[in-house]
Amino acid sequence: MTNSIEIHGLCKSYGDFALDRVDLTLPGGAIMGLIGENGAGKTTTIKCILNLIRRDAGEITLMGHDNRAEERLAKAEIGVVMDECFFHDTLRPRDIDRILAPVYSHWDSALFGSYLDKFRLPEKKFVKEFSRGMKMKLSLAAALAHRPRLLILDEATAGLDPVVRDEILDEFLGFICDEDHAILLSSHITSDLEKVADYITYLHQGRVVLSEAKDVILDSYGRAAGTAGQLARVDPADLVRVRRGSFGWEGLVADRAAFQRKYRDLLVEKTTLEDIMLFIGKGEAQ
Amino acid sequence: MTGLILKDILVMRRTIRTYVLFLAFYSLLAVFDIFPLSTVTAVTELIIMMLPLSAFSFDEYAKWDRYAAALPLGRRAVVGARYCFALLMAATATLFCLLLAVLLSIVQGADSLMGSLLSLAFCLGYGLLVADILLPLCYKVGVERARPYMYVVIFVPAILLFGAYQLGLISAETFAALETLPEATLLAGAGLMALLPLLGMGASYWISCRFLEGKEF
Repeated sequence: MTNSIEIHGLCKSYGDFALDRVDLTLPGGAIMGLIGENGAGKTTTIKCILNLIRRDAGEITLMGHDNRAEERLAKAEIGVVMDECFFHDTLRPRDIDRILAPVYSHWDSALFGSYLDKFRLPEKKFVKEFSRGMKMKLSLAAALAHRPRLLILDEATAGLDPVVRDEILDEFLGFICDEDHAILLSSHITSDLEKVADYITYLHQGRVVLSEAKDVILDSYGRAAGTAGQLARVDPADLVRVRRGSFGWEGLVADRAAFQRKYRDLLVEKTTLEDIMLFIGKGEAQ
Repeated sequence: MTGLILKDILVMRRTIRTYVLFLAFYSLLAVFDIFPLSTVTAVTELIIMMLPLSAFSFDEYAKWDRYAAALPLGRRAVVGARYCFALLMAATATLFCLLLAVLLSIVQGADSLMGSLLSLAFCLGYGLLVADILLPLCYKVGVERARPYMYVVIFVPAILLFGAYQLGLISAETFAALETLPEATLLAGAGLMALLPLLGMGASYWISCRFLEGKEF
């Protein structure tokens, strides 16, 4: 089966920041969470995927279509939701239906209407009267109404309350029930990704430092802790990152079980995506 | 592309409605000979040619361009839609002024039609020229930074004309001499004044496409 997204050797330089040989593969029927600190390159990667910016090197294919040579074909099958709503304040949901219907050959007004109902969005109200949550739901309805095969979301759930976020996450899970569908979801809210993502790609300073199935990451990675004396006995190669404190140290280990077997006196716990981000973002190499 | 043209109309429906009421009021004054038709024509064309610039402002505020670039249309279609909107507005304004001129010629006599047609052609040509220059500028530097250029494009020809008049390069006799020309010559000249900027829209569109294609969002 064709992968929904394939990125090979993506490079983009802004002088003070660069995406450096980013590789990423998102198979159909899956949700990939794209995580990383602010300025790590998540949005730049998404902009390259959507051909909103020129890349310096690399190849990107979307559902088998080259994103530049076959841009329109590729984009016809993509739904996009960014971190803000791009619909003008003076528009109403029913106007958006009229605007986007001629844009997408597979636009389904009835489906758009059903999403408006589902998300409880009044179709005659102006966008300026909508809350942030309503605007994001409207963007999602617009992104889904042409029956895309790939959804790309850049911080789409940021700033939303847990109830709205949960509603949207449920929609994502429904969307990928079809194995031909996939979602690339960039988010800082790692708890959301732990709920819905199948794969995690972690970007740090423009590089992919981790790209793996979420369950594999959470099953294998661990957080070890000990005293300064115990740290001296640990092989530096066994710790991905270390954070030292006044009472000892904490370290991120890539293979929790192997680490525990090797260092039986050290405490190793399960870790979270947020922990991994904190260790890689703030920790130091041993 | 039709979706994007429709978007411009829907986004600015309130603005358009206000302008329509405003122009209807002044047209009524012109019908009752309280206000000269040539002024109504000039204001109509100018207002109508400002609408595409307002569309840029609305888009900039909503950050629509980034969304439009993610749509499966291509950047040329985005530019094309804006030019089509500008032409649609110009055509509507011209038709409105033409109907008004005919109505007034019936009310005030056949002689007034010729003058009205000349001023309409001149105003249409001027309005299109403004669009030819300003639309690519909006794509290049954004509508806010393009605004000072708008005043230059609108007012510099008037200032030059006034300056030439003050320096004695042209005089009242120059304009009077124009009136001695045959009607067909005058109409052909006025038609050419409207046609040239209309043809210039092709070049303007091409330049705008180049600017937008080079843009990163």
